[in-house]
Amino acid sequence: MTYRLLGHPQPLRCAGIDCKYRKPKNKAERRQRKRRHPPKLAKSPSMASTAAVPFWRSAGMTYISYSNICANIVRNCLKEPHKSDALAREKVHFTVTKWSEGKPEKPTTRSDDPDV
Amino acid sequence: MAMAALRREGRRFAGSLTAPQPMSAIRSAIVSEEQVPLGVRSISTQIVRNRMKSVRNIQKITKAMKMVAASKLRAIQTRAENSRGLWQPFTALLGDTPGVEVKKNVIVTISSDKGLCGGINSTSVKISRAIHKLTSGPEKEVKYVILGEKAKAQLMRDSKKDIELCITELQKNPLNYTQVAVLADDILKNVEFDALRIVFNKFQSVVAFLPTMSTVLSPEVVEREAEAGGTLGALDSYEIEGGETKGEILQNLAEFQFSCVMFNAVLENACSEQGARMSAMDSSSRNAGDMLDRLTIFYNRTRQASITTELIEIISGASALEG
Repeated sequence: MTYRLLGHPQPLRCAGIDCKYRKPKNKAERRQRKRRHPPKLAKSPSMASTAAVPFWRSAGMTYISYSNICANIVRNCLKEPHKSDALAREKVHFTVTKWSEGKPEKPTTRSDDPDV
Repeated sequence: MAMAALRREGRRFAGSLTAPQPMSAIRSAIVSEEQVPLGVRSISTQIVRNRMKSVRNIQKITKAMKMVAASKLRAIQTRAENSRGLWQPFTALLGDTPGVEVKKNVIVTISSDKGLCGGINSTSVKISRAIHKLTSGPEKEVKYVILGEKAKAQLMRDSKKDIELCITELQKNPLNYTQVAVLADDILKNVEFDALRIVFNKFQSVVAFLPTMSTVLSPEVVEREAEAGGTLGALDSYEIEGGETKGEILQNLAEFQFSCVMFNAVLENACSEQGARMSAMDSSSRNAGDMLDRLTIFYNRTRQASITTELIEIISGASALEG
């Protein structure tokens, strides 16, 4: 009954040991009481990340470019002849043309070839 | 396609002969294969021989192209089948929901740069146009990203203002993941989308290609669908390690899914292209063989007719002299 007077929500469930509705025994406990339950950050998964993003995303890279750079590093760790085989698998060459309002703009070629 | 080209070539040869009289004789001879009317000098056998030589050359070329396509197909087929294992876990995790309702759709059409590969590029473009019609509506936006010259040429004709990006010269080096990943990165950076529809030809066998559409959703749409329940709703039952939030994980996953699906799509389309080219070249060599047979028969008939005409002239001349 004492619990209900203090405003305890569930008198039967509480073990009474670490319950905040227990009357503080001394001054130290009274001072501690205020700091026992700090306010929790309302973290819902759908919230836009105000949490720290990884360094590569804040630098503007996508996960794909990040993983490509990591793969390049792994490939460079190989020994010859596997290294040149692996690096040959990495060659990039294509031409991109951006279109705006039905007209193609100047195409840009992204290539690893030195002559293009 | 190659068959039609050969047929057109045959007709052009028929029409390009200089002398008008033999032209009617040839045309009637080739089309109806009737006897040459009396009193008309028949066509010179030299012309028919020239035509036979060119058809024989074409047959050799198409046979060689078929062999080349077969060897390229063998090389790329195992890679395509192995790359299927890249997107299957993603579909198991995130699902492939073609019926998702979104505002911004981007259709990525994958086609070849080179021609003479049968009808696969036309089917891809047809499907892309159908998807465009299905997904357009009030307040909805549909754009195209085109890979390959052939689809660009076809889509430029009527959907010019809907094209966002065109990518060509993809197959200069052998296809690899890095190249497709850089490409996917470019698309992600330049195009805004809620859902990406990737249209390609899936390789079933050397003669069978299935036009396929894969759907990749953007991370925001994945979150929205996850809240709505279904396959994506089961995502919440997974524990997330490390310091990342669910939204961040979803963004990484969505980007990686896009790049994996693109890699598989590009490989499968390349396989289908080689397979289609093989069958197209095979049918064109067979047609060239048929044409050669018909020309040989005509040549022999012409030769015999000219010999007969000469004999008739000689004999009638001799009998006229004798009186």
